[in-house]
Amino acid sequence: MPLNTIPNKGLTSRGYPSDRLVTPIIINGDMSVAQRSTSESSYGSVAYSTVDRFKTVFEVGTYTVSQESLSSGNAYNAGFRKAFKALVTSTAAPGSAGAQTTFEHRIEGQNLQIFKKGTSNAESFTLAFWVKSSKTGSNLQVNLRDTDNTRQVGGTYDISAADTWEKKIINFPADTTGAFNNDNGLSLNIEWFLDGGSNYSGGAVPTAWEASSNADRNVTNFDLAGATDSWHITGVQLEVGEFDSTTIPSFPFESFENNLSKCQRYFQVFGNTGGFEGITTGLAGSSTANWCQLTYVNSMRSSPSISFTNLVITDRTSADHNVTSIDNVHSGLSSLAMRCVTASGFSARDAVALTAKNTGSGYLRLDSEL
Amino acid sequence: MIVSVEKKYDTENNPNCYLVTYTDGAIWTVPLDEANRHYQEILEWVANGGTIVDNGA
Repeated sequence: MPLNTIPNKGLTSRGYPSDRLVTPIIINGDMSVAQRSTSESSYGSVAYSTVDRFKTVFEVGTYTVSQESLSSGNAYNAGFRKAFKALVTSTAAPGSAGAQTTFEHRIEGQNLQIFKKGTSNAESFTLAFWVKSSKTGSNLQVNLRDTDNTRQVGGTYDISAADTWEKKIINFPADTTGAFNNDNGLSLNIEWFLDGGSNYSGGAVPTAWEASSNADRNVTNFDLAGATDSWHITGVQLEVGEFDSTTIPSFPFESFENNLSKCQRYFQVFGNTGGFEGITTGLAGSSTANWCQLTYVNSMRSSPSISFTNLVITDRTSADHNVTSIDNVHSGLSSLAMRCVTASGFSARDAVALTAKNTGSGYLRLDSEL
Repeated sequence: MIVSVEKKYDTENNPNCYLVTYTDGAIWTVPLDEANRHYQEILEWVANGGTIVDNGA
């Protein structure tokens, strides 16, 4: 029996059995955390862009993607104050048969073991979310993609009325084939298909788990590519077991602090406030190479990649030297040492400080996303 | 999309990390960690014909 359905144990205010370990499987499902930015214009890329933990694979046309603040509507009335919004700003047909526009949430295998996938006791999946669009559509596709075993299953939803928040609940069957790896790697990718080239159609929606087939991933193209077309989503919730609109547990709202902390397993930013912000200290190893150590805010999923803009190293004379590259790193899951390269100006063993500049919103980013 | 990848060495001449430039202009310092998504993208980029710049230690 799915944990969600334990009866007569008393319900919390969130609608869960009081003895359930309430750990949402989806992180940032209410779109409240957006560490990178709250809006990006002329966006047509494959990256994590605005709201945390959701990847925007936007290869068709260009969009303004944003974390939208809600002030009315059915999703607002259900408690949601933020959403993800994609607004078409440049229309285009898919540039190639393999181009796609998808909104994705990627989950580690060790957080999915409760589904017991690949066993005779495998559990079904229920995905719930709030969605709105400027256009209506039918049989729009959402896929669960098991990347460990190259399998997939699909479900569909309709947008019945334009510019109206609607709650969708999609059931996906259990899969007794192919266990999720019990590790920190990508195991499940939930993808909402918004537009795609011909490679992704021509088949049939896989209502049962199957070996992955591109032709089955976007059978009815939503074609979110017209001028001013928009698509909005919030309240993403994945549950163990089969639920409908009357039985699904209420959305597991968390405090902003908890939500941010979970997001920081995958992404952390230092600076980015528009003002000077101290990041860490270090020692000059030579006239141009400065070794700085940094302890992460939270442990990360893997050794993170590092990106930066507008950082300075300050020496003992208070002179600032722009960081031009970070070309060596010794990193683990909780801390790192990095070599920050500047123009010459230091004496070896000088104490130095690494600071985000107030111009250009300097930042240091750590990324261990899936 | 990756534009270029440069291999970097540490002070003891051991491979240390990659500097990866993307089409959006972003530059990432990527550790040698197979669980890192940028590292995985480098492997895929090389498999599709990309060549890593290696100026040695």
